[in-house]
Amino acid sequence: MWLPWNRIIVALLLAFLFTIPASALRVKENYLFYCAPCHGLDGRGEGPNATPTQPVTPRNHRNPKEMEKLSDEDIINVIRFGGRATGISTLMPPYRNTLTEEEILELKDYLRELCQCSGPR
Amino acid sequence: MSGVIKTVSLAVSVLLCVFLLSVPGASGGMAAEGRRVFVERGCGECHTTERPLRRPTFEEFLTEKGPPLWYAGSKFRKGWLKEWLTSPEPVRPMAYNSLKERNPDNHPALGSKEAEAVAEYLATLKVEGLKRGVVRPEKNVRGRIIFEKKLGCYGCHLVRKGRRIVGGLSGPSLVGAGRRLEPDWIYAFLKDKNLFVPYTSMPVYVGIITDREMRILSGYVASME
Repeated sequence: MWLPWNRIIVALLLAFLFTIPASALRVKENYLFYCAPCHGLDGRGEGPNATPTQPVTPRNHRNPKEMEKLSDEDIINVIRFGGRATGISTLMPPYRNTLTEEEILELKDYLRELCQCSGPR
Repeated sequence: MSGVIKTVSLAVSVLLCVFLLSVPGASGGMAAEGRRVFVERGCGECHTTERPLRRPTFEEFLTEKGPPLWYAGSKFRKGWLKEWLTSPEPVRPMAYNSLKERNPDNHPALGSKEAEAVAEYLATLKVEGLKRGVVRPEKNVRGRIIFEKKLGCYGCHLVRKGRRIVGGLSGPSLVGAGRRLEPDWIYAFLKDKNLFVPYTSMPVYVGIITDREMRILSGYVASME
């Protein structure tokens, strides 16, 4: 007896999609929308805003050596308050009134995924 | 004799009326002509001219090909629109809604008459309730400090700095923003971006800078050459 493989594949795909938490999709959207213009779609700091005329280069989120210098709180505060309030470049804007606290925490976790690193202990 | 004068004046009046009605601008026909050109040239394939009835989903938004124009009359200066339509140069360094592709610089150009008519039509597309006369263009030090030091707006927008053009590429260029944008629209956009676009990478600055600073910043941007 032939199995309806097309239907089985679609059902499996749907089941897989529904197992991805909504936050996992949201954090990628947020990264794409708010971070990627400077930090690049893959997080290597090569977004379209990283032009030679800029005074600084965006941080490479995939570089564990750079990223492990930052504590989780540092990352959260930079996203919340921007570079100016945290002593880094003013080109990093504050997102506290753009993203929810939950979204900021998700982004922090996503950055840790990108760098495969944790903060200083 | 008086009968002849009456007849002549009547004829002159009729001719004058006919002449005035045949001038599109004088009768509002110029905007209608502009609308016709807009439709005929297929501009609506990339630009919306009616306020959306609902907020599109993120996926829907990413499929949009060009900036919405349903508030073009509030946003753009009519003279700039006409000029730009005759020889369009990219305002956005990147293709619309893309972080990968550069602007292909292939916007169709219109002839002078068509451009004038389309500019006239676009100028009629205004946002209701947008306050006028709140902001006036002003090249001031406070505006520059907010723009450069406080918010670092050039991180995403190109600006002229002396003889150089500097800044990021993800946002629309602000080179020549003073000729392009209506000062009150800049302020309205800073106050509530989502009134105009459903999604934007630009952060919310309400609560980050004061309302007064927002007006100063808008005036500064509106003075950009």
